[in-house]
Amino acid sequence: MLHLKSTTFLAGLGLAIAALPASAQTMDELIAGAQAEGMLTTIALPHDWCGYGDVIAGFKAKYPFLTVNELNPDAGSADELEAVRANKDNTGPQAPDVLDVGFSFGPAAQAEGLTLPYKVSTWDTIPDEVKDPDGHWYGDYYGVLSFAINKDIVTESPTDWADLLKPEFANSVALAGDPRASNQAILGVYAAGLAAGGAAGADAGEKGLAYFAELNKAGNFVPVIGKAGTLAQGATPIVIWWDYNALSGRDTLNGNPPIEVVVPATGVVAGVYVQAISAYAPHPNAAKLWMEYLYSDEGQLGWLKGYCHPIRFNDMVARGVVPQELLDALPPAAAYEAAVFPTLDEQSAMNPVVTGGWDSVVGANVQ
Amino acid sequence: MADAAIIGARRSWAWLGIVPFFAFAMLFLILPTMQIVVGAFRTPDGDVTLDNVANLFQPSIVAAFSISIRISLASALLGCLIGFAIAAAVTIGGLPGWIRGPLMTFSGVASNFAGVPLAFAFLATLGRLGLATILLRDWFGINLYAMGFNLLSFWGLTVTYLFFQIPLMILIVTPALDGLKREWREAAEILGASRTQYWRMVALPILWPTLLGTFALLFANSFGAVATAYALTGSSLGIVPILLFAQIRGDVLQDPHLGYALAFGMIVITGIANGLYIWMRSRAEKWIK
Amino acid sequence: MKVNRFWSWAALTFGLLYFFLPLIGTFEFSLRMQRGVYSFEAYRVVLADPAFRATFAYSVLLAVLTIIIGVVIVVPTAYWVRLKLPRLRPIVEFITLLPLVIPAIVIVFGYIRLYNTSSILPLTGTATGTNFLLLMGYSVLALPYMYRAVDTGLRAIDVATLTEAAESLGASWFTIMWRVILPNVSVAILSGAFLTFAIVIGEFTLAALLNRPAFGPYLQLIGANRAYEPAALAVIAFAITWACMGLIALVTRLQKFTQVPR
Repeated sequence: MLHLKSTTFLAGLGLAIAALPASAQTMDELIAGAQAEGMLTTIALPHDWCGYGDVIAGFKAKYPFLTVNELNPDAGSADELEAVRANKDNTGPQAPDVLDVGFSFGPAAQAEGLTLPYKVSTWDTIPDEVKDPDGHWYGDYYGVLSFAINKDIVTESPTDWADLLKPEFANSVALAGDPRASNQAILGVYAAGLAAGGAAGADAGEKGLAYFAELNKAGNFVPVIGKAGTLAQGATPIVIWWDYNALSGRDTLNGNPPIEVVVPATGVVAGVYVQAISAYAPHPNAAKLWMEYLYSDEGQLGWLKGYCHPIRFNDMVARGVVPQELLDALPPAAAYEAAVFPTLDEQSAMNPVVTGGWDSVVGANVQ
Repeated sequence: MADAAIIGARRSWAWLGIVPFFAFAMLFLILPTMQIVVGAFRTPDGDVTLDNVANLFQPSIVAAFSISIRISLASALLGCLIGFAIAAAVTIGGLPGWIRGPLMTFSGVASNFAGVPLAFAFLATLGRLGLATILLRDWFGINLYAMGFNLLSFWGLTVTYLFFQIPLMILIVTPALDGLKREWREAAEILGASRTQYWRMVALPILWPTLLGTFALLFANSFGAVATAYALTGSSLGIVPILLFAQIRGDVLQDPHLGYALAFGMIVITGIANGLYIWMRSRAEKWIK
Repeated sequence: MKVNRFWSWAALTFGLLYFFLPLIGTFEFSLRMQRGVYSFEAYRVVLADPAFRATFAYSVLLAVLTIIIGVVIVVPTAYWVRLKLPRLRPIVEFITLLPLVIPAIVIVFGYIRLYNTSSILPLTGTATGTNFLLLMGYSVLALPYMYRAVDTGLRAIDVATLTEAAESLGASWFTIMWRVILPNVSVAILSGAFLTFAIVIGEFTLAALLNRPAFGPYLQLIGANRAYEPAALAVIAFAITWACMGLIALVTRLQKFTQVPR
């Protein structure tokens, strides 16, 4: 009873501190508030995604008074929003404080009132196109879609989308998600559509579906959801993956089998994810501290170590704070020159085309 | 007269015995999931609507329900047959008694071996580069895939589902087989019945309600199974749970209310399946009593 | 009537082949962690983690508790329905089938909505409360299997006669359940117990979203984007769960009073 009461009191205190205007808090006030809260709850952060394992460890080392609860690393962006909604009245450790969701989910969460606005101290170095002007959500990292290739099975690597249609890649190509639900898979279809000459938006979505229909008819498409396991085992020797996932997959497999990561020559699509603080966060100060950490040079480099391009990449490179080894470990910068960042409008036009049309057009349907 | 009054009085507090179960079900199953039923009939703005349910009748969703039901029927039927054969072999089939214990415990573990590990296990065994596929090709010259076999198909998925369906059947049917008293078989033998006649006229009719009940369980079990299908044939098979998950989970903005309508549809189908089973069972039980 | 043993052995062999081949496939793959040689490297990595033992112990404890709760709720209910309220059977059976088609994620979000810290029953606010909630959730998930198993067992014995006989000898309700009914359905309960155990050990969604340190979330955190470790984990989890079930079976067999001479 007493324990419950003190937690509620501290939560109330935390909320009171959080109610102060975002800019009015100094780092010391944040740390004091976070110390009172004692906990941070995250969700949907697999340790191998963008090096989150090390990022979280770094955060814990910097602020040892905070315990980090990691909920459901398997959650999709919709699960994260649902977790916020379900935990509206809950101040227990099941309520997520911070979110890392797909680009289109930022505005959606804001519209529903699920976000707490906050502008980190490095706010100005975040590009305008990927943040909400009031600070409800802000881009965190991006990567481009690439091919992860199992070199034990595939001897001659494809260099572009058109190559994948060749007969030597029979039963080889897989997406890393379900194109009816996964952002990664849908953008994969979109990228193929752009490579086939489609215009940005719904048109590329349709051309992408036509491409995958052809891929399926040629017998090259494998409907299994590609993962490190299926890549290594041989069920899906070519996986269309975010480059950071492909590179970290290559590292964990450690040459067994050797993996080559190829960014296609055309149809290079970049995907941005965004961070947000839950409006119902039981530990808002800890959440803000987490954001400050993520957007500091240290946090951003942590993501870079996980092969993700942190959102402040250009700014950090210009200031020369990025170690050369990290830069070398990434795919060549030239590959990123052609990268296309789909806008929110283009994505919302393209999504229903792909998710709705996949079954009928691609017809990878099992009878 | 007095008896009727007593029976009436007894019946009236017999209801009390079922209260713990209903309280448990209410508090921890029905109330938490009311959201499905409520959500199925609401728009995102909160108004009541029948649109979500009406949307269920579009061709792609009807196809999804159809294929879900077909896979569930196939895996439930095969699971029942094969599971029954194995359970019968171990209980009354004259096999050594020490096999039974390990078989039961193994069935326990296997009954829940599903999802990504199971899909991967089958890919690693019967996939194009699977262990069994390669062994068959190199040792016996049998090329499975050239013969038309494909793990990533309706039957491939059904075969994979059997991995948890068969053990479930074994575990539930074994006590029933134990209940087949030896005296009945001996009596039938004395009266001159052959083995087929014994099975047809004595054993199967007695076991029939149990078999039906387990079939219904296997059907519902397969109908609701999503993790395995997702991991194995994720982008090709449009079964209802996958569609459901695409609406209420995933990384793209979808229509959660359609998802709830899908879940509601699944509950209705389970209800219909259960109703069918109850009807068939009551007919079978009529002449056993 | 001679029992044809050939078909029995044939059925068993087919079963063994079907079940062991995929497991062997997984095992063979898990040995391939070091390039070119078979080794137990993946297993070494997995077992070195102290969190493995902690989360597994937690899940085993919860599994045993779930089995007990399952027996306490299901056996009297099934017995009562069979004996006194046969007309309620369709409803009860329908309810027991529901957990199979309602996704666990909907259940857990429902729990959080209903039993959060601002509700009348703030279970999520404390560790004990959340553990209790998780236990209830597991019992719900295991309900279909436990009920069907117990119902099958009850069907095989003549419940009405046994009850009447016990009552005429002056047994209380509790004595009937504990000393007459339970021993006669012990085989069925054991089946249900195995099914429950396996479900609880492998369960992920409820434990992850309620933030409890169970084995399922641990498996997911370790294996998510790896190749060989998840295969090793699957084999280890399979083996250990099998061993635990063997223990349960052994313990039950040693409890003489639950035995009904065959």
